[in-house]
Amino acid sequence: MRDDQKPPLGPIDPGQLPVVKAPDAIWNSIVASLNAESEPAPRGFRWWRFAAACSLLIGTVLLWYSNRPQPPSWEVVRLDGSPSVGSKPLADTGRIAVGEWLQTDASSSARIQIGQIGTVEVEPNSRVRLIAAKPNEHRLSLARGEISAVVSAPPRLFFVDTPASTAVDLGCAYRMKTDESGSGLLRVTVGWVALEWKGRESLVPAGAICRTKSEAGPGIPYFSDASQALQDALAAFDFEKGGSEAVSMVLGESRVRDTLTLWHLLSRVDSDERSRVFDRMVELAPLPQGISREKILELDKDTLRRWSQELAWKW
Amino acid sequence: MVRNMKHTLMFMVLAASAFGADFTLAIGSPVAGSLPGAPTTSDGAPVQVRKVNASFAVRTEGCADPATALISATAEGLVNGARQSAALRLLPGTGPGVYLVSRDWPTQGVWVVRLIGTCANAKAGALVPIGPGGFIRESSKFFPRFATEAEIEASLKSLAGGAK
Repeated sequence: MRDDQKPPLGPIDPGQLPVVKAPDAIWNSIVASLNAESEPAPRGFRWWRFAAACSLLIGTVLLWYSNRPQPPSWEVVRLDGSPSVGSKPLADTGRIAVGEWLQTDASSSARIQIGQIGTVEVEPNSRVRLIAAKPNEHRLSLARGEISAVVSAPPRLFFVDTPASTAVDLGCAYRMKTDESGSGLLRVTVGWVALEWKGRESLVPAGAICRTKSEAGPGIPYFSDASQALQDALAAFDFEKGGSEAVSMVLGESRVRDTLTLWHLLSRVDSDERSRVFDRMVELAPLPQGISREKILELDKDTLRRWSQELAWKW
Repeated sequence: MVRNMKHTLMFMVLAASAFGADFTLAIGSPVAGSLPGAPTTSDGAPVQVRKVNASFAVRTEGCADPATALISATAEGLVNGARQSAALRLLPGTGPGVYLVSRDWPTQGVWVVRLIGTCANAKAGALVPIGPGGFIRESSKFFPRFATEAEIEASLKSLAGGAK
């Protein structure tokens, strides 16, 4: 900046400011900016971009839709009549998804394939819902009616909920029926089933039966060839407050094999009755080594389990 | 002299006992060999009774090391008056020395299952008759040796007689 272009030092009176010319570069950049703002965007180019974006979006949605994870479902085969899945009648084959109901009327039946581990036949007049179809949990709910299940899998993979119990498969085949209140019957033909309900468990081996009742849950299991008097006394004890009289009848009617029933009875009677049950069991099958009376009467879980494993050789 | 003989005899009895002189076989329903409290076999695999189609379970008793005991089974039958024999599969059950005996014999005729067991130098045997409803526990016979052919014949004749 030359000396004559420098602003004067000291106070300046109005109107005495020197006029200085701006450099050309500033004006050029201002003009370029103004031109850029006022120039309209090429219309064709914008529509092409919009169309491409839309196509990409639609393609992505279609791809996701065709590959989206399907809700887990199992195959269902119609065996007789006109069963329905959800609100639709079942053709010869179909699928039942998690949350859906399979319903049979008086003249229809169906078979459900339980993943890779077995089958369930749904008898007439039944309502079954698929609750879970996961590799580590295969679960149905039987609201009413009858099913027969055949499962070949490690224990505790297949479950059937009823209004008064949960049947836990321990590698087995069984039939189970219930009404809407939860009164029902489990009959095991192969292996073991555990019936569980609010902390109570009944272990039911092949050849044995277990009743269930609303509010009471599973009763005490018994072998199908047990005497009728034992079966009646057991029903009275389980569901009709049969008390000591019913216990006496069960003890009197028991054979060696019925130690299955007595073993369950041990933990469902009061301490006074418990020693009576224990004494009768030892009469029928001598106490194995390493199992003590005291531990059994205390209901020590490990001792009870070890005793049941020995008794099972008589069942 | 007599005292020495007594000691020798006592030693022999104790030694025999230690090596399995009380060794026997015991049988039970297949559920006994697939207990819920012990869901895996001695080799760590789950017991799957349905796949096995087990007729009954067998285990050793009185063997110091049940895992080393050897058990084998054959089905001995009488079909239309002719003797038949078939080797049976034994599958590991829950626990050492526990096996499930497969049901691998024809439906015709009458059959008994012959079990043979060894534990060290000790032997044990059993004959398990098979009825329409499965194995017949009450009629089963257990021996501190292998069952003889005569005993098998007698068991089959008894079954055939009962079946008539």
